Amino acid sequence: METCKNTKFTSINQVRYGCALGAFHSVSAIPGAMPIAHCGPGCVDKQYMSLSFYNGFQGGGYSGGAVIPSSNLQENDVVFGGAKRLQELIEASLKILKADLFVVLNGCIGELVGDDTGAVVDSFQKQGIPIVNAETGGFKGNNFIGHEIVVKAIIEQFVDKYAQPHEQKQKGLINVWSELPFQNTFWRGDLAELKRVLEGAGFAVNILFGNTANGVEEWKSIPKAQFNLVVSPWLGLSIAQYLEEKYDQPYLHIPVLPIGADQTADFLHKVVDFAGIDKQKVDQFIVAEEKKYYYYLEHFTDFYAEYWWGLPSSYAVVGDSAYNLAINKFLVKQLGLIPAIQIITDNPPEKYRQAIIEEYKNLDTDVSTDVTFLEDGYEINTILEKVNYGHRPPIIFGTTWERDTSKKLGGSIVEVGFPASYEVVLDRTYIGYRGALSLLEKIFTTVISKSA
Amino acid sequence: MQKKINLDISEVQPREQRLGTIIAWDGDIKELHRQSNFSGRAAGCGSGDGCRLCELQGPFSQGSVCSEQMVECQAGNVRDAVLIQHSPIGCGAGQVPYNSIYRNGLSMRGHKVENIRIINTNLTEEDMVFGASDKLRSAIDAAWLRYKPKAIFIATSCATGIIGEDIESIAREKQEELGVPVIPMACEGFRSKHWSTGFDATQHGILRQIVRKNPHKQEDLVNVINLWGSDVFTPMLANLNLKVNYVIDLASVDDLARMSEAAATVGFCYTLSSYLATALEQHFGVPEVKAPMPYGFSGTDAWLRELARVTHREELAEKYIASEHSRVRPRIKKLKEKLRGVKGYVATGSAYSHGLIQVLRELNVEVNGSLVFHHDPVYDSGDDREDSLGHLLKNYGNVENFHVSNRQQYQLYAFSQKVHPDFMLIRHNGLAPLASRLGIPAAPLGDEHIAIGYQGIINLGETILDILARKKFHNSIKTHVKLPYTDWWLKQKDAYILAR
Repeated sequence: METCKNTKFTSINQVRYGCALGAFHSVSAIPGAMPIAHCGPGCVDKQYMSLSFYNGFQGGGYSGGAVIPSSNLQENDVVFGGAKRLQELIEASLKILKADLFVVLNGCIGELVGDDTGAVVDSFQKQGIPIVNAETGGFKGNNFIGHEIVVKAIIEQFVDKYAQPHEQKQKGLINVWSELPFQNTFWRGDLAELKRVLEGAGFAVNILFGNTANGVEEWKSIPKAQFNLVVSPWLGLSIAQYLEEKYDQPYLHIPVLPIGADQTADFLHKVVDFAGIDKQKVDQFIVAEEKKYYYYLEHFTDFYAEYWWGLPSSYAVVGDSAYNLAINKFLVKQLGLIPAIQIITDNPPEKYRQAIIEEYKNLDTDVSTDVTFLEDGYEINTILEKVNYGHRPPIIFGTTWERDTSKKLGGSIVEVGFPASYEVVLDRTYIGYRGALSLLEKIFTTVISKSA
Repeated sequence: MQKKINLDISEVQPREQRLGTIIAWDGDIKELHRQSNFSGRAAGCGSGDGCRLCELQGPFSQGSVCSEQMVECQAGNVRDAVLIQHSPIGCGAGQVPYNSIYRNGLSMRGHKVENIRIINTNLTEEDMVFGASDKLRSAIDAAWLRYKPKAIFIATSCATGIIGEDIESIAREKQEELGVPVIPMACEGFRSKHWSTGFDATQHGILRQIVRKNPHKQEDLVNVINLWGSDVFTPMLANLNLKVNYVIDLASVDDLARMSEAAATVGFCYTLSSYLATALEQHFGVPEVKAPMPYGFSGTDAWLRELARVTHREELAEKYIASEHSRVRPRIKKLKEKLRGVKGYVATGSAYSHGLIQVLRELNVEVNGSLVFHHDPVYDSGDDREDSLGHLLKNYGNVENFHVSNRQQYQLYAFSQKVHPDFMLIRHNGLAPLASRLGIPAAPLGDEHIAIGYQGIINLGETILDILARKKFHNSIKTHVKLPYTDWWLKQKDAYILAR
């Protein structure tokens, strides 16, 4: 199958990401940070209701959802410009809302009519107010791109100004750049697990997003870190490169989010080797974790080896590159399942695609598969319907959009990505040691619960 | 006389221009009703202060809702049509919530469950510079090739509005080529201050391009303008030997076309039905049932009687009314005992709130506070039998704390501190999360039909008992979370202080 398919239609049916403005979720994901949206009246609601409500019902929390200030631009603002409206909105936000950092996100209207939000924000910065401006017009790209724009804006306009002394880097301190908050339905549990295993291996971790992050104080220590760790096929790479230049920090890129004991051990060894820290701690940690992990797997064996009616082998994964690749690795290497078709939907920039394809060629020493890049849900589901899955219907790891197809094929649907509208997700993780066990529970509960 | 709805123009006239809609106001129902001047306004109240309805405007606002979302939730929910969003991908995010709602709606009404059919043209920076008419054409082709729809709707966006895309002529060209209605709807978010204009935009397009001209009248068919709600009207209207034609959500294109064949049109909420019902009467001769909305005994009685009068079924209606009264009275009596002294608060769309307050008061629930997302001082028909606020005031008395607040969570705090409700009825997202953090349970009313008619009084009463029990959860949340609002704001008694 050809990779990066040029389809006839550029339109998108069944969206699988938000727009650049949707990256206000990355702001809400920093404890104590508050987005301010300069956009039309429906933009915030749309991004919120899709990315954090009907996607695992994650919720808005302290600074998300209907809390977010928005200029709700009107015809007058389009005709005469909305900069003044933004000015008064920021002033009022500072009176009404408590936050350690405000991030203004400019949307389609502001960018198209040429509102100089940078100048407006600058006037507040000059008064010493912790506020940042990010140009995130929705037509600039999806929320992955928006995330990188927002993160760089925060570093440039906030972190840089208030940074802790960083001439001397702190050995063993890492900045982690991994999943996209809220877009990835399980990001909260995943980042917590990522932090846990890295700490277990002896590191101090700036996880930066989520409830295990230490808010803007943690962001101020970004320049002090020994290095940046990018755990995803492509998201965050440009941030790491930016930081390399800015703060002379090296970075380590590990494309595969680790799921399960082998992957996680392998991952931790790579990070420890790169950092050059003592290996004893990581080895002890791995031994302790594996003891727990294999206790459960040992008991799971009875089910996996002799469940009376057999279990499906063939599977498809439809989703963002990070989870897609990670789940593929786990299913092949840990469970010995058989990949049927893999579709990546987050529109990775062209320059990263070849490297991603290579990863699928090496899922394991004896397993290789193709991967397709597609964003249009109609085409995705048409392809899924045509694949030969062998004698037994497949497990589809996908989104709510794949429910109908899965039903048609008689298969099982495990919603692992945006939108997951029929999942309620709190701190569930699918990565690391703990997440692997949750994923096993989810997969096989789904499979056997539909059997009778 | 109220001006006739103009179906010759391609773009719907926004609500604020047609009806004088406002989105921020503070006072009580008595005063709002006086200032709204329903009949005077309908009569055209001339120039000067006759129609003045002062609106507050402040510097602070939180994310609200846009007209395009309402187009998605209506045009996007027509079963054998396709909606195209001509916009950057961000507007497409709406496909996700509306898919979930559509799927659950289909299931609730016994249709086959399937994904919503909305296609986004995915405009990028380049398109902003060079225009994107070919992308729109291509999306229409995709819609046609994939689904062979009976109609194709096109929603505009803020971005296409600003760059000046000529959507109308492409729609015309494609309609000719494909032979099915291709319907442009002007619903740019910035175009109207209130999103309910999006309802009107969809209805305008359907009226212009789908509703059948020269219809064969069916004397037992009634258009029911609703959303996804459960099927309460079919059994109710069966007692009058009437058949239901649900529009617009979950309808087929043919259901929309045959609206002109009906003997009458009814709604459950004038905010939603005003434009369509009035235009069907003015342009297609389908009488609109002009009556109080079907909430509580007095509203439902009057609504049924007017429907019966219009469709000549008075005797059947009286029989039904009498039997329903005696059926529900005993259960309602018990509910009233349980709910005595309980304080409720209503935060919903405009006319819907008027209806719900009626039901609450029938149930002995104390209501002295409500917020509505907007206020229409008059509806399109201009007929004062539709004066829902007046009906509430006259039959159920004043509501002292009545606010127009366009889904502004920060204001709800001050409102709630004034009246300290035990529970809230809330439609639309965004407010219940704050209520919860204040220890107040809320019923979401996703099924908008829950409170309708005689059975609706029971349903609502039982729903309230359910959610009151959940107070345990909300109280525990209250003690463990911090609000994002400053102490200064939390001290304010006047939610509009920055707007004065």
